[in-house]
Amino acid sequence: MRRIFQIDGEETETWLAHDGACFILNTPDGAIPCQLEAAGAKGGHVLRANGKVRELRLAAGPDATFVHMNGRVHEIRRIDPAERLAGGDSGSSDDRVTAPMPGVVVSIAVKPGDQVNEGQPLLVIESMKLETTLTAPRDGVVAELPFAEGDSFGLKDILAQLVPEEE
Amino acid sequence: MTISKLLVANRGEIAARVLRTANAHGLATAVLRHASEQEGPAHLIAHEVVTIDGPTPVAAYLDIPQIVEAAKRIGADAVHPGYGFLSENAGFVAALEKAGVTFVGPTSEVIDLMGDKVRARAFVEERGFPVAPSAIEDDDPASFVERARAVGYPLLIKPSAGGGGKGMRVVREDSTLETEIETARREGERYFGDGRLFVERYIERPRHIEVQVMGDGQGNVVHFWERECSIQRRFQKIIEETPSPALTPEQRDKICETAAGIARAVKYRGAGTVEFIYAQDGAFYFLEMNTRLQVEHPVTEMVTGFDLVAEQLRVAAGDGLSAVQADIPQNGNSIELRICAEDATADFRPAIGDILLLDEPQGEGVRVDSGILDGGKVTTDFDPMLSKLIVHGRDRAQAIARARQAVQNYVVLGVTTNTGYLDAILAHPDFASGDISTGFLTEQSETLTAPGEDVSDLLMAAAALSDERLVSEVMQIPEMHRKMGGWRN
Repeated sequence: MRRIFQIDGEETETWLAHDGACFILNTPDGAIPCQLEAAGAKGGHVLRANGKVRELRLAAGPDATFVHMNGRVHEIRRIDPAERLAGGDSGSSDDRVTAPMPGVVVSIAVKPGDQVNEGQPLLVIESMKLETTLTAPRDGVVAELPFAEGDSFGLKDILAQLVPEEE
Repeated sequence: MTISKLLVANRGEIAARVLRTANAHGLATAVLRHASEQEGPAHLIAHEVVTIDGPTPVAAYLDIPQIVEAAKRIGADAVHPGYGFLSENAGFVAALEKAGVTFVGPTSEVIDLMGDKVRARAFVEERGFPVAPSAIEDDDPASFVERARAVGYPLLIKPSAGGGGKGMRVVREDSTLETEIETARREGERYFGDGRLFVERYIERPRHIEVQVMGDGQGNVVHFWERECSIQRRFQKIIEETPSPALTPEQRDKICETAAGIARAVKYRGAGTVEFIYAQDGAFYFLEMNTRLQVEHPVTEMVTGFDLVAEQLRVAAGDGLSAVQADIPQNGNSIELRICAEDATADFRPAIGDILLLDEPQGEGVRVDSGILDGGKVTTDFDPMLSKLIVHGRDRAQAIARARQAVQNYVVLGVTTNTGYLDAILAHPDFASGDISTGFLTEQSETLTAPGEDVSDLLMAAAALSDERLVSEVMQIPEMHRKMGGWRN
């Protein structure tokens, strides 16, 4: 079973298997025999992997797993390659304008169906008391603006979507 | 006058903190909550929760008529404003006064005076307290260059209409003064459409040192020693401590007495903080006075043993100060860390998310003033500060060790926080030696955000094995194929 994990922006393709005795996480850098047992306080686990034993606290959200280990918190984003393929027709990254940080939509300069040129302002957002103008990543036609003026959005939310280009 | 019912016109950790003291003193208590707001610790501590509304949650907390009306409706005879929001709003104080409700804080006149930076500075200077040498062009344009020269070098030229560092020039030598004034004037005209300037003495590697004061409104003022708040990002403090590692006992007495003197000059009522800029050579200058309880007040409580909110309530009730100066000790060292939902590796961008797991540290010398609950949601509606971790130690080394231990065990999962970054600051040798200035975080940004040991193999294993869907899919494959199962799919 395959999963893509993203840590600090770096993606690694893996697949998980079980050899009858133990789980094996296969990665481009080698196979990691591993085992995870719940233990202790809420979210507490003992991880045995690659010959190491670590106590950790863990919580899994819908898209990411958070791990507290040795006094540090790490975020591991999980991507199901099947879903990524299925979602492929929603367009490539240059069809989308995503939120560089969480904030609020201040104003919208275009509407779905509008022809826009690369660099043309699409909408103005406010984050941390700073206004930022987001522009079209390429020439194209606006397909969707999921947020209205005054709406709040999160980091990486899609704020504008262009109609995909014909191949 | 006595206070029997207190409304806390604030939210988050400070509302919870004020409510705890008020409850312990036998007052009936109430707190505000905006309809869209997550439940927080304050809502569980208050005897009563008053719903407020407004176009945005922040607007509701700034709505003076609505809050005054709420205080009257529930029969509160006093309002504690916390910090931020309406805590330094003279109009709020006046509206409460008119409604016959006691404001826990200074008079509206003092709030007005100290809220106007130019008037406050002039007031302080006229009474002989130290302000950084400066010259304002508008006072007498013809003599501006002469007066600028008299300020002394290095000096900083700023556009009068300016902000955000634009058009500022540092001048170190007299020979370049006049050309730099002309350059700054052109920049001021370009950026702000206004070429008027002022100059002030430029302080190299300054520290931010402030003093906690408390007055009874009759001219009696005591100080509760200083706090050093030089560790700042985006001009906002994230680590504060007391005592300051920079001060000798003589300098400490001098700066604390200066602060108390300024507060005495305005017959200050309640808790206030006098902020100073402190130069490497030991000179210090008045910056501003904050006429409220500060975020970082707990470090003062840890070393003095006083509950500053209890003191505020006492003064507001007309019972005066509970202590004279000689009764206020400074025992050991205390450090506060502001736990914020933000990404320190991405220019402190605020983070949002659901709190999936919360486990706050405990232990000897550890205090947590928290504004969050397990299962809560962090949004961009309010400030990114979630809670404060405060520690006390017999000396600075023990306080740092306790702070590191506690912040490493501060588990917030589900939203990015700055706990790792705070620990990196505490671990820095210059922090340990106390060699810090307000530029420290910028100067050391690369060191402080350097990636740690690569543990990605362990993290991926943990993420895979805790992914219930992934594990169940693997286990559904007939045993003989499981080992290779991933290849076939």
